[in-house]
Amino acid sequence: MAVLAPPPEPVVAAATTTGGWRRRLSGRRTRFGLLNATPVVVYLLILFVYPIFSTLLLSLKGEDGGFTLHWYTDALTGTSLDILLITLRISAETSVISLVIGFLLAYWITRLRPIWAGLVMLVVVVPHFISALVRTYGWIILLGDHGLVNETLMALHVPGAPFQLLYNELGVVIGTTSVMLPYTVLLLYAVMRGVDRGLIAAAASMGAGRLVTFFRVYLPLVAPGLVNAGILSFILCLGYYLTPALMGGPKQTMVASLIDEQVMKNNQWNGASALGVILLLLTFAGLLLLRLVKSVSEAAKNRGAA
Amino acid sequence: MKDTRIDRRLFLRGLGAVAATSALAACGSGTSRSSGSGGTSSKTLVVRNSGGAYGDANMKAVLEPFMKETGIEIKVINPNYAQMLAQIKQGRPQFDLIDNSMIDFVKFAKEDATQQIDYDRLKTAKNADIAKNLLTPTAVGKNYWGSVMAYRTDAFGGKKPSSWADFWDTRALPGNRSLQHLDADIPELEFALLADGVPLDKLYPLDLDRAFRKLDEIKGSVKKYWDTGALPGVLLGRREVDVSTVWHGRLNDLIKQGQPLAYVFQGARRQSNGWAIPKGAANLDAAYQLIDYSLRPEVQARFAEIYPMAPVVPAAYKDMKDEVSATLLGSPKNLDTGFDADVEWWVANDDAVTKRWQEWARV
Repeated sequence: MAVLAPPPEPVVAAATTTGGWRRRLSGRRTRFGLLNATPVVVYLLILFVYPIFSTLLLSLKGEDGGFTLHWYTDALTGTSLDILLITLRISAETSVISLVIGFLLAYWITRLRPIWAGLVMLVVVVPHFISALVRTYGWIILLGDHGLVNETLMALHVPGAPFQLLYNELGVVIGTTSVMLPYTVLLLYAVMRGVDRGLIAAAASMGAGRLVTFFRVYLPLVAPGLVNAGILSFILCLGYYLTPALMGGPKQTMVASLIDEQVMKNNQWNGASALGVILLLLTFAGLLLLRLVKSVSEAAKNRGAA
Repeated sequence: MKDTRIDRRLFLRGLGAVAATSALAACGSGTSRSSGSGGTSSKTLVVRNSGGAYGDANMKAVLEPFMKETGIEIKVINPNYAQMLAQIKQGRPQFDLIDNSMIDFVKFAKEDATQQIDYDRLKTAKNADIAKNLLTPTAVGKNYWGSVMAYRTDAFGGKKPSSWADFWDTRALPGNRSLQHLDADIPELEFALLADGVPLDKLYPLDLDRAFRKLDEIKGSVKKYWDTGALPGVLLGRREVDVSTVWHGRLNDLIKQGQPLAYVFQGARRQSNGWAIPKGAANLDAAYQLIDYSLRPEVQARFAEIYPMAPVVPAAYKDMKDEVSATLLGSPKNLDTGFDADVEWWVANDDAVTKRWQEWARV
């Protein structure tokens, strides 16, 4: 998440010498700031850093107490590897679909009058306050073989109906997409609001068609938001547990379910820790990708400016 | 871009607030018991059970009357096996008494997590003629329950499944099936073997290769493996599946509401559940009192009337109406329709079966 925040101010210059450090620390404001930061730092150390490190240690501990990597080889072979790949695939599908739908929805919202925009926003976000379990059972009532969607399709004599919309990959992706949608809509809406309408008008006045304006002016302007939203929903989806467990079939086991099974069923904390660390690394990889895309696009922009 | 930054910051702050609230809520439910309530002076007894309809029935038939009679306050919590084990290992369990399946108690005993039962403190149990295998060194049995088949009576055009062979016969009775997930309890391998023609009394030791071969046959028709006790009711009620396995008793409310559902007792797998006291329990006296109370014949009968789990105390059948005892899997009349899960076999082979099932279910 930290990557989503603005980049930190450059502090290198002032802190290169020890004198600079001392001067900085002796300032009253700095001391006051450090004092203020202490509770948060202690809080994070105890509740965040310590558990992650003990998880890491647990994942490297063999049955005899020594160092081992075999929990990782276990996690990266056989069915565990399949589950990891399925998780990645479902997360990718989810992030692409929620980006597309989120883009359309957010774009539509920016075109609405403020009062309507607020209302639509509410409709997008409010389902998030309902317990995930209730929401998912709602999906079952909607998407089941005899659910609302299939009954309607059958009444309309759509060929092939009823479709299986639950207990397969489609069901999981529908569920996870709906969970991720508020995040993508909120992020994209924020970016789209910041787009200067004048630029669009300028492009049009210079003879660009609607499609050209969209692809060469609008899309590049909202691209940072797209990357952020896509990677955020991908990362959130990686560790998602409830929806895949409830809306998927046996073949849609995701890593989070596997971890749950290892801890709750097999009493196998080491293997579960290894899987947890792998998920964490994947998350970092996603964030790194975000950084990379950003710096590449910055570089491109600078080159364009020059 | 300046504006969007601020918006994003606001958004992040919002996210942070949501995360913080949920984290706080999680902390609230996870706090350990304060030392004040854990002392011997306290009268609160903390009981663990699996909740749901079973928990409600327990409250009504056993816990509430017990509170009234003794003045002891009872609090019920529902941690699962792994959570309980972790708490006991930490030395300060939040509960004084565990209500769970006897299979889990064998595992607890292996982990050295439960106390030796002092049978001298259980006056009722001593002379109640309870089956020997339910009075183990660390656990006391209290009810028989079981897994059975259940189906929609409006599904198969008037035909009714009556055995596991019918459950497996997707040609004669086409429709979606549901089986129990590994997360819920030991897998239902016995049903596959019964469907394959193994007699009720020759099931154990289970022939794993044969069971999984038979399970292969039905895999394509299994739409969902249910992982919570309430799910078979949802799946059957929403017509997602036409026939399923289910913990007996879980459909009673739906049937009362008029849903066209029925149980099949033939080939039922019976298990028992009971009481055990965790090491580090704070309120031993009250725990023993409640165990003893729950084994009184009238209490056992009262529970069976609310929830179809059979008493372990034979005398309970004396005051019981015939229509009640007919609904119980474990009542003497129904004993030859099913079989008892072999606890010893399952505990010895659970890990191996678990691994094999996990691999099988995902391919």
